[in-house]
Amino acid sequence: MDDKWGMLESTNEDREKIWKKNRTFAGDVWFRFRHKPTAIAGLILILVLLVFAFAGPLFTHYSYSDQNLDVVNIPPVMRVYEAPDGQACFYVTQALKVLRVNNDGTLDTQLSKLREDYTAGVAIFDYDGTEVGLSYFVTPYEMVDPETMEAYPARTVLNRSYLFGTDSLGRDILTRLMYGTRVSLMVAFIAVIVNMVIGILFGGISGYAGGMVDTVMMRIVDIISTIPLTLYVILIMVIMGSGLQSIIVALGTTYWVGMARVVRGQVLSLKNQEFVMAAKTIGSSTKTILLQHLVPNSMGSILVTVTMLIPSAIFMEAFLGYLGIGLQPPLASLGTMCNDATANLRTCPYQLFIPAIVICLIMFGFNFIGDGLRDALDPKLKK
Amino acid sequence: MKDQPILEVTGLTKHFKIGRKQTVHAVDGVSFTLKRGKTLGLVGESGCGKSTCARTVIRMYDVTAGKVVLDGTDITDMDQKQLKPLRRKMQMIFQDPYASLNARMTVRDIIAEPLLAHGIVRTKTQANDLVYPMLEQVGLTKEHANRYAHEFSGGQRQRVGIARALVLQPELIICDEPISALDVSIQAQVINLLKDFQEEQGVSYLFIAHDLSMVRYVSDDVGVMYLGQLVEVCEADEIYRHPLHPYTKGLLGSIPIANPRLARQKVKSSMEGDIPSPINPPSGCRFHTRCPYATDRCAQETPVLKDAGGGHFVACHQV
Amino acid sequence: MQPVLEIENLRTSFMTSSGEVQAVRGVSFSVDKGEILGIVGESGSGKSVTSMSVLRLLADTAVIKEGSSIRFEGQEMTSLTKKQLRAIRGEKIAMIFQDPMSSLNPLIPVGKQVEEMIREHHPEKGKEELKRAALELFEKVRIPEPERRYKSYPHEFSGGMRQRVMIAMALANKPDLLIADEPTTALDVTIQDQILHQLRELDKEYGTSIIFITHDLGVVAELCDRVVVMYGGLVMEEAMIDDLFDHPAHPYTMGLLASMPDLEQDKSVRLTPIPGSPPDMTNPPAGCPFAPRCPYARNLCAAELPDFVETGERHRSRCFLQYPDAPADGNNPFAHTSGK
Repeated sequence: MDDKWGMLESTNEDREKIWKKNRTFAGDVWFRFRHKPTAIAGLILILVLLVFAFAGPLFTHYSYSDQNLDVVNIPPVMRVYEAPDGQACFYVTQALKVLRVNNDGTLDTQLSKLREDYTAGVAIFDYDGTEVGLSYFVTPYEMVDPETMEAYPARTVLNRSYLFGTDSLGRDILTRLMYGTRVSLMVAFIAVIVNMVIGILFGGISGYAGGMVDTVMMRIVDIISTIPLTLYVILIMVIMGSGLQSIIVALGTTYWVGMARVVRGQVLSLKNQEFVMAAKTIGSSTKTILLQHLVPNSMGSILVTVTMLIPSAIFMEAFLGYLGIGLQPPLASLGTMCNDATANLRTCPYQLFIPAIVICLIMFGFNFIGDGLRDALDPKLKK
Repeated sequence: MKDQPILEVTGLTKHFKIGRKQTVHAVDGVSFTLKRGKTLGLVGESGCGKSTCARTVIRMYDVTAGKVVLDGTDITDMDQKQLKPLRRKMQMIFQDPYASLNARMTVRDIIAEPLLAHGIVRTKTQANDLVYPMLEQVGLTKEHANRYAHEFSGGQRQRVGIARALVLQPELIICDEPISALDVSIQAQVINLLKDFQEEQGVSYLFIAHDLSMVRYVSDDVGVMYLGQLVEVCEADEIYRHPLHPYTKGLLGSIPIANPRLARQKVKSSMEGDIPSPINPPSGCRFHTRCPYATDRCAQETPVLKDAGGGHFVACHQV
Repeated sequence: MQPVLEIENLRTSFMTSSGEVQAVRGVSFSVDKGEILGIVGESGSGKSVTSMSVLRLLADTAVIKEGSSIRFEGQEMTSLTKKQLRAIRGEKIAMIFQDPMSSLNPLIPVGKQVEEMIREHHPEKGKEELKRAALELFEKVRIPEPERRYKSYPHEFSGGMRQRVMIAMALANKPDLLIADEPTTALDVTIQDQILHQLRELDKEYGTSIIFITHDLGVVAELCDRVVVMYGGLVMEEAMIDDLFDHPAHPYTMGLLASMPDLEQDKSVRLTPIPGSPPDMTNPPAGCPFAPRCPYARNLCAAELPDFVETGERHRSRCFLQYPDAPADGNNPFAHTSGK
């Protein structure tokens, strides 16, 4: 150093410099959020499901309502018998029909039945001129050579035509799943938007006004929250007819009470803070105080409540669908898909498990996000 | 007109009801006058009602009884709408620099808020022309404008709070313990800033604090409050040199002396006991329960503020 | 005589999402028996973290770095397990905090809480004995009507009274060391005055060593025997109390003393504040942390961290201007002392 005893020049700027990176509040939250693996996993999960639900139907050949009674209750993994010429396979349906399955796993046509040998317990089918037999005397039913009664070699193949199989009306489960997820997410987001608007305004006004207004508004909330939701939904269905709109109306008009309570609590504790008093002494309007000071500062709790509320709304929709008072066929929702599947639970468990797993994934996703947000917004962890 | 005091408070009373029966006598019959361009200090222990007094004067609370006259206008019974134009004349600086700034707003928005609220500027870009010079006046730079309050240190935040109060160029600023949450090295910065503004713009301050040495330094007059009442008011130096009320004497004796040799000479603490509850304040002179000179009369008769000579007002039977 | 507590090169950091906050960056000092040591510093100077490190009462994100040593009565504290520390806590080392309400259980009468403190470490004592001890302590800390107050709950007490209960609890087992972390900051001057006097008396009576942490130099002057001045996670100056006020040997201490008005301060003269803001400990400066705010700072100060210089008996200061080769120009406040 040339002049180590020279006077150090420091300007006011140096002394007042803030070293921290300039991060907005949202940036700060995002920074902490992305350092939590479960939260990011949840976020990715939900994004994948969104793509699945909204972009997915573009890539399937089926629609949610296309029925094909030839291919009823075909599972995603099939046990097939090789044809004698090795060019195709056979799949035996539950209705004892024989489906031709190409070697790549796609489904082809049904074989036509030529005759039935009741004594041997064999039905003879026509396979491009060759006769093949279906022995139904002993379970499992097998495809046999009608001459020797020897079973053709069996193996399992993945169903390439219907990746997740078909349901009892021969509809593609994958496609229905996409529509079902779409319905569930739509229900969730509409419920959330209605909640945010009504809940925040109602709770905010109730908390900010205080006194008599608060008491009356909170009693209204109490009354609404005492009505059992199922009963309420059924009543709405009677008036509006069953369908998505009724579910959305039902969830939208009742689910905001939880949000209103949260916002009110936040506003009550915030409104005595000095920055709100400062806004009052400045002469800011009530609208400014509510929308610029109180609501943004309650945003943390609001977001956490919302992300926790989404799975509950989705579950409610699925539950109503399962009870049979939700969407009407042929529309698909995850709940109605589960409901349809219960009849065939023993023979086709995949029909129940697949939509059930998707419900679980959605719930996991949102719960992880909610958890991550809560941690990211927790002021105690802030340093 | 110029001689008209900026603030005249007469018999100000503020009671809070808690439950059905109990009443907190937070402020009881406080009167004082603040002259234009001067500073009146209010001191007392916590719970003596000095902050409530300030908040009632700025009409954050409704007045139970008494009168508040701001620059010749009686604002006692005005509603918030009528008060709004008057708020430009009267601003407040708060105690806690952490709680008094909205953490979700940038410093620019915080300082621009009063300008927008009073329609002085229409847009946030217009506000910049007023916000930037204001920031520089309080020792911050343009670069700070886009920062959020939580990124600042306590002293910097308090200066933002001051900027917010001053940007409207008010005539009266109520300072509610503006330095008690700050570090010692920062307190002097804030005090100097307040004094500079007073000299340049003739602002008047109602300065509330419990740090007696700071109050003496900034104030022209000092009022000592005890349990919602003023017990002594006079010129700042006079009250420290010749305190008359036993409470003032005790309070002064309690200040830690930043001089170890003098400090060691103090043998016992100057005042015993705690401040009684303002829900059931003691009868007569409210200080009689802790006063070393209390007589029977003190317990029965409430003393009134009277001039003990030379504008030195004191409420004590013994004087 | 062996010191009660010796802290050597203590470094404590907090690992946060925005990086490592180096709260304490190599602090060394010792506390003698029966001594009242003041630690002065502003918020963020690391004074509380230093004291919390002794009993490891820190948040989970805190890490005491390798090479730090805290010896209490000759025993190394940094290697003790949590369980061993708990045995020392309250028995040998007690703490009182700024907010007594956070350390008192609101559901249990205060008398019981004081008893609990004794029983924790002396389970052999009987019910009567415990109660007697608790009442005696209440009298010691001058809680009026101890018999009646014994059954009261914390919320029935005023702030000052609660702090007295805390002191009673802290002294219950006659500890060798009492760490008081800003115990009077939240109190009024009149109550602070009472508490300070009481601490002095109790210190005389019990012979307990006290570490008193505060930001108020006035309080230090009233109570302490010796002072450690901290800034930016480092000790800046250490001195006997009279020495510190008579001959401050660090520009920061001088700045602190100058920025406080006393009751004789001329009102027309502006106060001399320390300009600027304290350093950000996520990004501590390479040189002296006070350099950017120091009116005497040299180029050297911003580049390197100075070592301690002994400036008198038990008086040391971390400042380049105290070095023997420092120029005695008009901008060296220690020019007259460095000539010796």
